[in-house]
Amino acid sequence: MNLNYSDEQNMLRDQVLKFCETNYDFTDREKILDSDVGYSPENWKQFAELGWLAVPFSEDNGGFNFGPIELTVMFEEFGKSLVVEPYLSSVVMSGTILENSNYAAKQELLESIIAGEQHVSVAYAEANIGYNFLDCVTTLDGQGNELTLNGSKTIVLNATNSSQFIVLAKHADSLALVLINKDTSGLEIQNFKTLDGQTCGELTFENLSLTADAVIASGEEAIALFNQMIEVATLCISAEAVGAMTASYQKTVQYTKEREQFSQPISNFQVLQHRMVDMFIETEITKSLLIKATLQLDSNDSEATKTISALKVQVGKAGKFIGQQAVQLHGGMGVSNEMSIGHYLKRFTVIDSMFGNTQHHINKYSTL
Amino acid sequence: MDISFSEQDLQFQEEIRSGLINDFPAHVREKQQKGESLSKSDMIDFHKFLYEKNWAGYNWPVEFGGTGWSPVQIYLFLNELAAAQCPTILPFGLSMVGPVIYTFGNQEQKDRFLPDILQFNTWWCQGYSEPGSGSDLASLKTKAVLDGDHYIVNGAKTWTTLAQNADWIFCLVRTETTQKKQEGISFLLIDMNTPGIEVKPIITIDGDHEVNTVFFTDVKVPADQLIGEEGKGWTYAKFLLAHERFGIAGVPVCKVQVAKLKEKTAAYKDADLNKKIAELEIDLMALEFTELRTLAAIAKGGHPGAESSILKIRGTEIQQRISELFVEAAGQYILPYEGPEGFESNKNPAGPDYASTSVAHYLNFRKTSIYGGSNEIQKNIIAKAILGV
Repeated sequence: MNLNYSDEQNMLRDQVLKFCETNYDFTDREKILDSDVGYSPENWKQFAELGWLAVPFSEDNGGFNFGPIELTVMFEEFGKSLVVEPYLSSVVMSGTILENSNYAAKQELLESIIAGEQHVSVAYAEANIGYNFLDCVTTLDGQGNELTLNGSKTIVLNATNSSQFIVLAKHADSLALVLINKDTSGLEIQNFKTLDGQTCGELTFENLSLTADAVIASGEEAIALFNQMIEVATLCISAEAVGAMTASYQKTVQYTKEREQFSQPISNFQVLQHRMVDMFIETEITKSLLIKATLQLDSNDSEATKTISALKVQVGKAGKFIGQQAVQLHGGMGVSNEMSIGHYLKRFTVIDSMFGNTQHHINKYSTL
Repeated sequence: MDISFSEQDLQFQEEIRSGLINDFPAHVREKQQKGESLSKSDMIDFHKFLYEKNWAGYNWPVEFGGTGWSPVQIYLFLNELAAAQCPTILPFGLSMVGPVIYTFGNQEQKDRFLPDILQFNTWWCQGYSEPGSGSDLASLKTKAVLDGDHYIVNGAKTWTTLAQNADWIFCLVRTETTQKKQEGISFLLIDMNTPGIEVKPIITIDGDHEVNTVFFTDVKVPADQLIGEEGKGWTYAKFLLAHERFGIAGVPVCKVQVAKLKEKTAAYKDADLNKKIAELEIDLMALEFTELRTLAAIAKGGHPGAESSILKIRGTEIQQRISELFVEAAGQYILPYEGPEGFESNKNPAGPDYASTSVAHYLNFRKTSIYGGSNEIQKNIIAKAILGV
């Protein structure tokens, strides 16, 4: 057993930390969110130049052969500054599916993602299936080069900026993952801002024609690729949550030291001290499950699925508690949109809602 | 990073496991399996068994007769003990006074006391809290006045666990009234058979006699039973608290308890209860890995200090939640109650077999968030040491 990060992993953490310190204070972030695209293309270019977009990919596909450990290191730092660049949707979600698939055109696609030339989003959620993404209604009919896609997908992350989509669809008694271009006729996209200032979209497919080379995977392979992607993505947003928790309790401690009431810093009051200790403890406890899940996923441990559900439960509960208490201890300032602290609460709320919320994962954990 | 245990560690685990299967005293095992309480002689037999296996000094360095095990080995050892339904190792000799003696005692004291602690020839108890000094421990008033080659001790210690069985007590006593109250405290070892000592039982809300008040009236204690220097007792006490971090969370026992809870309630198919058990399991998994992180930090040469307060707080909260769930599962059948020993044989009332013992355990375990520095005190420690407020 070895729970120490390697020098290389620590260097990566320092690099992301430095980037965020330099480029990502709260006003920088506000400007990014105000832009039409909802992220900074300049930052994305830097991510590519720093090699960050290549992190999880194998050397064959132009990557660094890194894995879950490095991803969580990065996401923890992203979470501290509430980074909005679409790393999750393009690199983690689309990337994981492509990397592990036998798709003929995957190398070219991954190269363009790694170079920062294009965004690709995964379309998996639908209106009436909750978190049971595999029960989708969107259907791919036909065979060979005469395929037709009908249905709709919702909450497609970063849809505004993506030039291609990987769509999960029902196909011949099973499922398939297909790649479609945003310009394909029969595709309609409606874009939304998200609660935390990012973007997502709804995709509608009406008799959208596809040929065989659009099929990334089908049957058991498609299901396995999809489930694996959801696990890695869940792990990444959990790491992001841990970073956001760390920042939330630290900012709260700092604020209570500066804020004076009754002629003294409010950090002198024991009731606030103990609340902040609870926030600290929840952060550390979440970090423990994060590390456990990361290492299990990294070593292909069969228990990883169960631990990831446990982690998501803890992330949901702790994020809610820490987010709410951070706002509470900031007093009126906590509910002001001009302060960063409330934006952490928004992010915790979004993270809990993604890939199965607390209740969903308690139930899933019970069945595993 | 790597989550798996080394071959060497797994082999170690196997040795402990087979040692327990072959040599763990059968009469103790049987009582443990039935959930019956252990007698004084059962406890002595168990600890002597540990000594015979060379396991007694599981957290001691080799030079004092300990095992010199790594933190991971200690973790595995304690897990195996719990899985085999061993009683909890009494901490007072092996984890508390022993390390203080081998760290701060003189050679004569080491020779005199350490072998008996390892062999469990002496049963130790802890004289810290007083009727007027709980969380504010440094306000303690039990006085020791040097008179020639003896100290004369007067005062009272309370919440003294199993003092009724003890041969010796280690005490924090006031040898000087100083401006800073911590500075006048000394660490004294006292033979429980010394004239002037009276042990008075305190019956806890579960009906058990586990704790006591120990009164000292003109008790003559040889001066060579003072550990280290006069006035340095507070330093030694703090050292002791930091040393007692292994197993502070009680994870191995919790794991066994949760497994038992699941086994006993599986037939109920109670969705609400099962959901609570799932949440408990998740919290326990997180706590266990937090403990492993702490062990990893120690193995790297770090001193977790205030972080071990997390283990105390979370561990005791989870222990209490488990005890609550047993009570919840037992429902109305907790009402018939004749004390922690359970019912006379053949006179069992209706209801599940765990009903009576679980409510006793529930009441008894309210103590866990109070003892060893109450959870509120632990939060004060974290606030000061880690958050800097």
